[in-house]
Amino acid sequence: MTALPKTVPNGLQRRSFLYRQLQQAGAEFAEVNGGAVAIRYGSNEDVELNRAKTMGIADLSVLPRTGFKGTGTVEWLQTQGLTIGQESNVAYRQPGGEWAARLAPTEIFLIDSLAGSGQLIQRLNQSWTWGSEKPRKPIGYPTPRQDSHAWFMVTGQHAPDMFAKICGIDFRLHKFAVGQIAQTSIAKMSGIIVRTDLGTTPAYHLLADIASADYLWPAVQDAMKEFNGGPVGLNALRRLEG
Amino acid sequence: MTASNQVGGINRLPAPRGLLIDRSKQVSFTFEGHSFTGYAGDTIASALAANDAWMISRSFKYHRPRSVLTMIGQDANTLVQIGDEPNCLADKRAIEQDMAVQGQNYIGTLDADRGRMVELVQKFLPVGFYYKTFHEKRDSWRFWEPIVRAMAGLGKIDLKADFHHSYYDKKYLFADVAVIGGGPAGLAAALQAAETGAEVILIEESSQLGGSLNYARFDETGDGGSRTSGELASRVRLQPNITVMTSAICSGWFADNWLPVIQGNRFHKLRAKAVVIATGSIEQPAVFRNNDLPGIMMGSAAQRLIHLYGVRPGKRAAILTANRDGYGQALDLLEAGIEVAAVIDLRLTPPQDALTKAVQRAGIEIRTGHAIAEAMYIGQKKHVSGVSVAPITGEGELGKTTAEYACDTVLMSVGYSPAGHLLHHAGTKFGYDTRSHMFKPESVPAHVFAAGSVNNTFDLSAVIADGRYAGWSAAKDAGFERGGEPSQPVDRGAENQTHPWPIFPHPKGMEFVDFDEDLKIEDLINGIHDGYDSVELLKRYSTVGMGPSQGKHSAVAAVRIVSRETGMDLRNMSVTTQRPPYTPEKFGHLAGRIFDPERRTAMHHRHLELGAQMMPAGLWWRPAYYGAKADRDQIIRDEVNNVRNNVGLIDVSTLGGLDVRGPDAAEFLNRMYTFTYTKLQVGRSRYLLMTDQTGVITDDGVACRFHDEHFYVTATTSGVDAVYRQMLQWNAQWRLDVDVANVTAAYAGVNIAGPKSREVLARVCHDIDLSPEGFPYLGVRMGTVAGIPARLMRVGFVGELGYEIHVPASYGEALWDALMAAGGLNGIRPFGVEAQRVLRLEKGHIIISQDTDGLTNAYEADMPWAVAKSKPFYVGGRSTEIQLKNGLTRKLVGFTLKNADDPCPEECHLVLKGSTIVGRVTSAAHSPSLKKVVGLAYVHPDDAQPGSTFDIKVHGGRIIQGTVVPIPFFDPENKRQEM
Amino acid sequence: MKIMNCPLNGPRNVSEFVWGGEVSIMPDPNSVSDLEWGEYCFLENNTAGVVREWWCHVPTSYWFIAERNTVTDEIVRTYPAGEIFNKRVEFAKQSEDKK
Repeated sequence: MTALPKTVPNGLQRRSFLYRQLQQAGAEFAEVNGGAVAIRYGSNEDVELNRAKTMGIADLSVLPRTGFKGTGTVEWLQTQGLTIGQESNVAYRQPGGEWAARLAPTEIFLIDSLAGSGQLIQRLNQSWTWGSEKPRKPIGYPTPRQDSHAWFMVTGQHAPDMFAKICGIDFRLHKFAVGQIAQTSIAKMSGIIVRTDLGTTPAYHLLADIASADYLWPAVQDAMKEFNGGPVGLNALRRLEG
Repeated sequence: MTASNQVGGINRLPAPRGLLIDRSKQVSFTFEGHSFTGYAGDTIASALAANDAWMISRSFKYHRPRSVLTMIGQDANTLVQIGDEPNCLADKRAIEQDMAVQGQNYIGTLDADRGRMVELVQKFLPVGFYYKTFHEKRDSWRFWEPIVRAMAGLGKIDLKADFHHSYYDKKYLFADVAVIGGGPAGLAAALQAAETGAEVILIEESSQLGGSLNYARFDETGDGGSRTSGELASRVRLQPNITVMTSAICSGWFADNWLPVIQGNRFHKLRAKAVVIATGSIEQPAVFRNNDLPGIMMGSAAQRLIHLYGVRPGKRAAILTANRDGYGQALDLLEAGIEVAAVIDLRLTPPQDALTKAVQRAGIEIRTGHAIAEAMYIGQKKHVSGVSVAPITGEGELGKTTAEYACDTVLMSVGYSPAGHLLHHAGTKFGYDTRSHMFKPESVPAHVFAAGSVNNTFDLSAVIADGRYAGWSAAKDAGFERGGEPSQPVDRGAENQTHPWPIFPHPKGMEFVDFDEDLKIEDLINGIHDGYDSVELLKRYSTVGMGPSQGKHSAVAAVRIVSRETGMDLRNMSVTTQRPPYTPEKFGHLAGRIFDPERRTAMHHRHLELGAQMMPAGLWWRPAYYGAKADRDQIIRDEVNNVRNNVGLIDVSTLGGLDVRGPDAAEFLNRMYTFTYTKLQVGRSRYLLMTDQTGVITDDGVACRFHDEHFYVTATTSGVDAVYRQMLQWNAQWRLDVDVANVTAAYAGVNIAGPKSREVLARVCHDIDLSPEGFPYLGVRMGTVAGIPARLMRVGFVGELGYEIHVPASYGEALWDALMAAGGLNGIRPFGVEAQRVLRLEKGHIIISQDTDGLTNAYEADMPWAVAKSKPFYVGGRSTEIQLKNGLTRKLVGFTLKNADDPCPEECHLVLKGSTIVGRVTSAAHSPSLKKVVGLAYVHPDDAQPGSTFDIKVHGGRIIQGTVVPIPFFDPENKRQEM
Repeated sequence: MKIMNCPLNGPRNVSEFVWGGEVSIMPDPNSVSDLEWGEYCFLENNTAGVVREWWCHVPTSYWFIAERNTVTDEIVRTYPAGEIFNKRVEFAKQSEDKK
């Protein structure tokens, strides 16, 4: 990966609610899709990679995501080329590495791949229109998932143990499969957890109220302390994914 | 007491005794200022005992010296203070280097407690002292209070200390089968359950697995227990699907097998599909005169001292027994070099087994059919010096003393009671078993299993078989069935363990039933005769079982005494209800990490940088005003004036936002709100007033129609979550073709307001016609502001020309920056919630739940204009119709003060009509724009016409007059907001 | 803590749910008497036995129906609201608000 030019979070209009905390933790930023994402912390990327393998957390809040809900949502997305299975509370991986998380029979939360190109997401956002057909064919409605939820990724072998300190769901690897979703209470907030491992490293997306990002980020890191966990940059995640 | 110079203590026995101590590591600590040295693994009590320091505390009421009773933390005799931490159990808490330990509950010193004089006046402190003393003579409390407060209570908390909160946390645990108790039954259950493939968690209170196997004597040679313990424990350790937690206490059972497990500073919340409760039994004391003297302890406590800590409980012992364990203890003492003066057996003809025969062979005197009549002491009751024994002539009756034995140790081994607390919590019914003379579990609830001595099983091989059976059953219940059903034990060996009546009143009393509360036999009998003749009533009246050990040693004796005094059959009785927690829990454990989510808007840090004073609004934080607290009132006035005369900017991100979409969107809003929305034009907005089914106002907001099928609905900051939830619940019934999404946090919002707001907005908004014709009052538009996609609304927020701008939350800070920069030329300044409230009050806008309450309907709030009368239906419609028909009892009006010099009333100051309360002030403020007080108040409907006056009772009971005026107070024709 | 089985999310601690009152069928507001309407609004049956109630899974705002025994504290059955409310509800049409 070639070094990106130095990016300052408040130099861009789209900002993570957390950018001050990330700066304080020593994050170096890179622009991805109009937002500044923490790409690495400190200079030793191998140390950071090891942290990601044992106990890490990354802020991906500026990376692309979107959502659709309402009658006809899944059928419409399928006509748009998405692969979405029958079961709710399961995330379905798309060929481009995006995950379509089926939160309910008629609700999809779509998160981008770690590349963050946002291609599929932009295409879908642009394809959705009210149309002029009468009566209108039900195709669901877009939901502002880019901004409703902060997006963290929790990685490493200790992740299930760490989650047990803030959440009542059993996330152990043999109990919570890749692709499984839990919509539950996390550190007393409502949130969504989706397991999508990176290579052989257990990894969980953690999506929760964007307005509480400043609260949740340190709360999770407090729970990580006993595992020597800490923040990791997007680069470390990309290296895990291989 | 004197500190010993001998390493490890003068009473220390040589290895291999002392399973839990590490003789290679010495640990020094102080007790009552004296230095002591013990070994790593010692408890405070075992280290003190090793150094021949026996007195640990003073009793609660009479300040009698108390010492080791159970050596497992089941009693309150060993409560001590460690630094600023009160009420620590000295027989459980491990010693640490330089730990400073103090006794509790004494005046002066533990050694010479002046409080012991209370015992001399005990006849003035009868059972029910408080009831009797203060029931009618209430004034006497003034005399007694300082005395009672000084004498009662445990430990000391320094309220002036700078409390530091240690790091406590919580963690969930999951298991197919949880086994509580790591004794022989629990070990067998865990192994059997694990063999089926189930995930098992085994919880053990001690630092070592094995339970009674580690200290009790099961055979003549004395090594059977440790051999079995070692074998079972090593098999458990080899099972990959058994997780062992030692030094962990399961303190309760809650619904659906939810088990709190405390280990160190961590509170585990264990959820198990099935649970095996193998918590064993609690040895029960005998009740005789002076049975509380230091040196008198449970037989099991002596065995724990010897085997777990390598400490000699004394030099010469008398053993009072009614079972084979007393004989095992005699052998243990002999082997440890302690003289046994006599074994006093309550039974006339004890069965002859290997242990009794071995004791006979050792030449120890055995007195059957005898009991201890009295324990003797020398001086200030600091240690037992001997016992007198007498033959048992009837239930609880003794003949003449037949012998006295000098001894410094008395062991009590007269019976057991199931440690059935967790089974109790789970709703198990216990019944009295007339063969074993113990309560035993009779109907255990689903998914809960009992094994071992808690399940009336005492013979070791029967205990292990019982454990296997319970483990197998629990695994099967959790969905893991493998192998055939193990057989249940036939003979559980529960008979001849517990004596039916180990209670021996003495003419001179002082036979303690409850050590915690210093209750004697006569106290309970007096309580029963006072009329408290059921166990539950007697508990509350006499406080039996209400001390720190929660009746672990007193409950059964109390039931026996009630049974005898009232003639009730024990088989129809039970001990008092046991509730969680089993052992004390610290507030730190319950608090854990104190997760306290809060919500911040995208502009939060900008507000802080601008010096805002933040205030909470639900979970959100909002700026109250910008500047120093000292200048609050002036700042708020300046912020108001700047909006009225210039342009202001306020963060309104916390306002609720809902996207309501679909062919039935308008019909849905018609049903949820009082107005109609079917004919609202696209690009326009309309006020929303929500009532619940009873016609009470619950929320308000604005509906913005962006498409035929799309309304963007705003709701109050604190109301939106309830509004959203109710919308979904109603449509789960109506099944309209509409979708509702709560997008509150996804949008950041600002309101730019003031005569110059259009000018400022025009600098950063180029794709919307901002002219009054192009974007009129109540219009809504989509476009961009500073290049950011935005929803714009012209609403009458503060009664000035203004625009509400909502953008995706991640852009919120950039939007704020752009507008502040664009408004720089015009002197834009941010304003906070306080200025907003004044501005809105000047316009007479109500705040839901400030100007309305849990009963306010639309007519009371004087909002008939917001109620559509000919709709087929809306949620509160039918009730509102009835309310209109029934007439009003109060009405919300705008008012000013008749006398401008009167003080500004405050919220909830009463509105009176004559001497009758008819309403209250809901909002009032000095209006900077009008230079007078304006407010809203509920008044009697007769006084609601403009020009009417009404009385307000303000501070100090003063009555002032308000005058009803029409609203809005400011700009009554609303010209400014419609510019 | 009790476990409740959410038809959408599976078994969860009951702290993830809020109670939404008894399931009761609304009388026709246009024909019902004031007294009957008042009873519908304010009176709960308070049944000792199996009750049918609205429950909402808070993290997903998902409403469903639970049958619960108030005597034994057992949750008998949970199921989607559509089992009972399976067709669109209309109210007697009157003329559109003339204001």
